[in-house]
Amino acid sequence: MEYRSEFAGDPLVVDIEGVLTFDDHERFRELATAIADAGAATVVLDLSGLTMIDSAGIGMLIMTNDRAAKRGKTLRLRGLKGQVAKVVELSRIEQLIPID
Amino acid sequence: MDDMPSQTGPVPPDGDARILIVDDQPSSRTLIGSLLKAEGYGRLAYAEDGVAAMDWLAGNAADMVILDIRMPRMDGFEVCRAVRGQLGQDMPILVQTGIQEADCRVEAFQAGASDIVSKPINAGELVSRVRLHLERRRMIDRLQRYQDRMEDELRAAQSMQLDLLPGAEDIDAIVRPRGASLTAFYRASHMLGGDLWQVFPVDESRFGVFMVDLSGHGVSAAINAFRVNMITAGLSAERSDPAQWLAALNRKLVSILPVEHFATAFYAVIDPGAGRLQYAAAGAPPPLVLRGGGEWETLTGGGLILGCLADAAYETHAIELSPSDRLFAYSDALCEDFEHPDRSPDTGTIAAAVQAEAGGGEAFADRLIARLFGRADTDFRDDLTFLLVGMTPS
Repeated sequence: MEYRSEFAGDPLVVDIEGVLTFDDHERFRELATAIADAGAATVVLDLSGLTMIDSAGIGMLIMTNDRAAKRGKTLRLRGLKGQVAKVVELSRIEQLIPID
Repeated sequence: MDDMPSQTGPVPPDGDARILIVDDQPSSRTLIGSLLKAEGYGRLAYAEDGVAAMDWLAGNAADMVILDIRMPRMDGFEVCRAVRGQLGQDMPILVQTGIQEADCRVEAFQAGASDIVSKPINAGELVSRVRLHLERRRMIDRLQRYQDRMEDELRAAQSMQLDLLPGAEDIDAIVRPRGASLTAFYRASHMLGGDLWQVFPVDESRFGVFMVDLSGHGVSAAINAFRVNMITAGLSAERSDPAQWLAALNRKLVSILPVEHFATAFYAVIDPGAGRLQYAAAGAPPPLVLRGGGEWETLTGGGLILGCLADAAYETHAIELSPSDRLFAYSDALCEDFEHPDRSPDTGTIAAAVQAEAGGGEAFADRLIARLFGRADTDFRDDLTFLLVGMTPS
């Protein structure tokens, strides 16, 4: 998994690419901290470059959302496709994190 | 290793290390021995050539061998190879070579030497290398012991986890009197796993089938699987109502799972006599209903993954089944191959494979895995569980 963002503007957009699995959890924690500490009120995770996600990856999205919410921010997801769209749909996490 | 004393005892501290000095020249043996004695190494043994060295090793345990190359009968290279062949890679072997014997050094390492000490012997160098290699051996030994202990503990935990799963007799005693059959497969990817499944009576005509996949693998997922097993044991009032069952389990999991952990689950109440299946799901791959005529459909309509939101609601769905129909429920390891995403079987492929193998009797699970992945002993990076329920007794 790779992520890219200017960490500026509101909404703050973060592009996430590659495959998101348990192996990425340290890097994703970094990202969750950067998001929680950022100034923006809304953070959009653009997943259009993400090709696969496992259950640990879904857990990391939930954890990021939780940390953002505790700092008064709204997290949103967009650009889901393929296996990522299927897994996210099946998990019904749109009940926790809005999907554009 | 058959004819050698076992090397299983812990490597002793330097002063108690057993060192075999092999050299055909008595003066060399005496020199090395006295240098080591002066540094506190008291358990020294001597051999005058390779044959004598191997004889001594056959009857005694050693922690290190210091070896000359040029010796009658059996030279140092042959001793290196014999020690490696019979005592494994852990025994430190220090080979003495002269400065002019550059070729010997490469050959010595190829034969299995741990290190070289130059001849004429330099006291400081010899003692430093002996110390270094004994320390290295102690570290490997400690790691090996730690790993052995962890493996023993994991094996014990693994057998506890397997005991949670219903055995063939338990399954039969529940499903056969109610007019059904059930075949199950379970394999953890890291000895311990986060998959769990259960079958239990609901009333005289119905039984419940529950499958859950805790996020993550290994020890933490397995501990959560034990927790789920304890929680569901207390859900007797909810057994006949799939949505209530999942809602109750979800509420408990919200309070115990850390924020990034969750579970996916499927719960079905099956009444083979009435030809009716009621179910609720939470993020699990939609199970398949395989009709006797060859058609198939997925059991759609799931709710939020468990453990995230205390007031998440679940819905009970129902479907009619005839005696020739089958239900196939599976964890996501079956359809998500992260190493080869394009080889992940889609729902249609899984349905066709199950249809092809379901009527074949014994070893359904092996045949299904072989059909989908080429080999029955395919490795999965995630825990794999699947259940096949037939609406007639087998």
